[in-house]
Amino acid sequence: MMKKKFLAGALVAVMALGLAACGGSGSAKSESGAETAAAAEGGSTLGSNGSTVVVAVESGFSTLDPGYVYEKYPPLVVNACYETLFKFNGKDDAPQPSLADSYEFSEDNKTLTVKLKDGITFASGNTMTSADVAFSIMRCKNLKGSPSFMCDTIDSIDTPDDKTVVFHLNTPDSGILAKLTYASMSVLDSKVVKENGGTDAADASTKDTAQTYLNSTSAGSGMYVLTSYTKDEEIVLDKNPNYWGTATNVDKYVIKLQGDANSQMMMLSQGDVDVAMNLTDDTMAELDGTEGVATINTPTKSIGFLMMNMDKNIGGPVADPKVQQAIRKAIDYPGMRTISGSGSVTPNSFIQVGFLGNSGERPDDYRNVDEAKQLLADAGYPDGFDINLDVVSDLSLEGVAMTDFAQKVKDDLAEVGINCNIVSRAWDGGYGEDYRDGKLGFTVMYWGTDYNDPNVQLPFLPGQEVGLRAGWTADMDPELAALNDKTLNATDNDARAAVLKEIQDKTYENGPFIVLTQAPAHVGYNTRLDGVNFSDPYALDVTLINIK
Amino acid sequence: MGRALKKMFKRNYLFTAGVIICVFWIVMAIIAPIAAPYDPVAQDMTMRLQAPSAAHLFGTDNFGRDVFSRVIYGGRYSLLAGLITVVLAAAIGTFYGAIAGYVGGKADNIMMRFSEMIMSFPSLILAMLINAVLGSSLFNTMFALVIVAWPSYARLMRSVVLSVRENEYVTASEALGASRSRILLREIIPNSINSVLIMATTDIGNQILMFSTLSFLGLGSAPPTPEWGMMVSEGVKFFNKFWIAGFPGLAIFTMAVGANFIGDGLRDLLDPRLRKEF
Repeated sequence: MMKKKFLAGALVAVMALGLAACGGSGSAKSESGAETAAAAEGGSTLGSNGSTVVVAVESGFSTLDPGYVYEKYPPLVVNACYETLFKFNGKDDAPQPSLADSYEFSEDNKTLTVKLKDGITFASGNTMTSADVAFSIMRCKNLKGSPSFMCDTIDSIDTPDDKTVVFHLNTPDSGILAKLTYASMSVLDSKVVKENGGTDAADASTKDTAQTYLNSTSAGSGMYVLTSYTKDEEIVLDKNPNYWGTATNVDKYVIKLQGDANSQMMMLSQGDVDVAMNLTDDTMAELDGTEGVATINTPTKSIGFLMMNMDKNIGGPVADPKVQQAIRKAIDYPGMRTISGSGSVTPNSFIQVGFLGNSGERPDDYRNVDEAKQLLADAGYPDGFDINLDVVSDLSLEGVAMTDFAQKVKDDLAEVGINCNIVSRAWDGGYGEDYRDGKLGFTVMYWGTDYNDPNVQLPFLPGQEVGLRAGWTADMDPELAALNDKTLNATDNDARAAVLKEIQDKTYENGPFIVLTQAPAHVGYNTRLDGVNFSDPYALDVTLINIK
Repeated sequence: MGRALKKMFKRNYLFTAGVIICVFWIVMAIIAPIAAPYDPVAQDMTMRLQAPSAAHLFGTDNFGRDVFSRVIYGGRYSLLAGLITVVLAAAIGTFYGAIAGYVGGKADNIMMRFSEMIMSFPSLILAMLINAVLGSSLFNTMFALVIVAWPSYARLMRSVVLSVRENEYVTASEALGASRSRILLREIIPNSINSVLIMATTDIGNQILMFSTLSFLGLGSAPPTPEWGMMVSEGVKFFNKFWIAGFPGLAIFTMAVGANFIGDGLRDLLDPRLRKEF
């Protein structure tokens, strides 16, 4: 009995001590934060000090194996640890050679020959050869994971010598260079990966066992190496001692998987993190005037759009091209941008601002209620009409619920006499199925890009995947439908930009899709850093960040 | 009973408070077009996220809509859903439970196992499932809530009926040759209804909360309906603008508490074992 009491007492004492220690370290940390970051040059992994940079980002990292990477934020890590043949630097709209030294398309656009740079070494010390490139890309293709579709146009890869990679394509693909920038196309150290169960053979989807290894460490040539990954908690990246290029002065990254905007805002203002990737308009406003914190509002490539089914049996009145024009005239685009958050833009059509060939932004004075009413009257609806507006209740566009956009659409259209009845369903509650099967007459939906190339928008053309969801078949507009192949064939950037502009001109006033907004990303960072950015392909390109 | 009620108003302050709160919200919901200064769904993008002021007592939301007007109109949906759900669930449960309890035997066994089957599902999940299958609308949500709620009434009713049917007046009616349905309707149900009544009043608050929870999850009424639960769910994104979620939240809270107070008071009044000298 005595013993028990003693134990309990000891336990209480230990807990009290622990609490005191926590409190102590907590206050010490916030003090060092207040004294500006330069004070502590130690190697602590917490707080903003020394040459360690702490990044807070939304969770959702199912894997860090480049061959499987497909989610939004893992490319941040993959881009730090691995390199690709081509890369988007900053806000480029066309990919630039990275590991590649030069490249050349054949006459028929079906062969791409890439020469590698000299002197590239992996973190392991191995030299990179064309065999590594072929292995990595064929592995991605044969793993049959989510990103494997990007290799669909690649038939086979030849390696005539150590420095030359020849891609044989089964069809001309003007987006191939952009695809080769994607995280899944990272060049792996084939020797190390093979030692750990990796294979690029046709049966890789069942035989490859390297994922476990690549989740805990990296095998690339990037500026950093993956040293630890605790699921849903944090990822630690250390500097690659054998980096072949010029590295930045950041020695270590700690990536905290904490997506809540309010937590990120608190941590950033207290100096516990240096970069917060998932802020919102509201939390950005809170950070206004916080010393040592700067923010970036920049458009992503994710769009919210209104879809009107071309099939009269499904779309009803909105299948009428005149009604579609009227609705386009009735939407309050600046208001949509307010809902979507500061930093958003309204592209002319479904080729986003920032993409090669984008023709600009829809002017704010495009809205014209009188013209819209006239168009409705011409179409035979002088008093407007009632219609169901389908919306998915559990999805959002960069943090803004789809139902918010639906409410704004309802309000805008009410002004021209169109009375929307919002029908909200969960994605798995029937909405998703109906959307995919093209059974929705009138809906608000969003679209995120897979890889950073305007070709990802071609599905919006008549006869293509998204077009068909709007009942838009190729025979309704053969001329526009033909631009799909024309774009895929145009490996020359200027030629492709011209075709893309043509697509936008044709869909600026017509067609079943109205792009409501191109949503923004809100990034906050500590001003001791230089080069903080938001980029669509990598979220945050850490290879550009330096400490001042 | 009338005198007892009067006495209670005087002595039981919680009951009085409950009645005042509930009456307040119900009256507000009824006179909403007069009481609300603005149209609850009218958007004004130039007046977004305004803090509470004289022009907008409860501030404005993300779309520049007046939160005060929305809260007042919101009672129409939340209260209606709460009341209708409870009335329907209590009615179904009462008859079901009374029949099971009075008939007894095999039928009782089958009927009660069926109701227990429904009860064995987590109620929120079941309601979500029904809602997801039928599509979310005010009516479907109420339907889902009734399906989830009635078995508890049935169980309560049956347990009461089991003891009531042993009473001598039931035996007397049977001896007089009254039909079973007459006995059920005239003797058993009126003498067992008290506990259901008490449970129902307490349950109104629960149902409003449940309805709000479903709306919060995007399964209740469709936007832009000014429903309390949905207003909270839309407002929580604006962490630093407390009024958007705070005021509708307060409405749910007060209404639930008020209904509970009434339920407690009625229990004190109707349950002879708990009846105190007021």
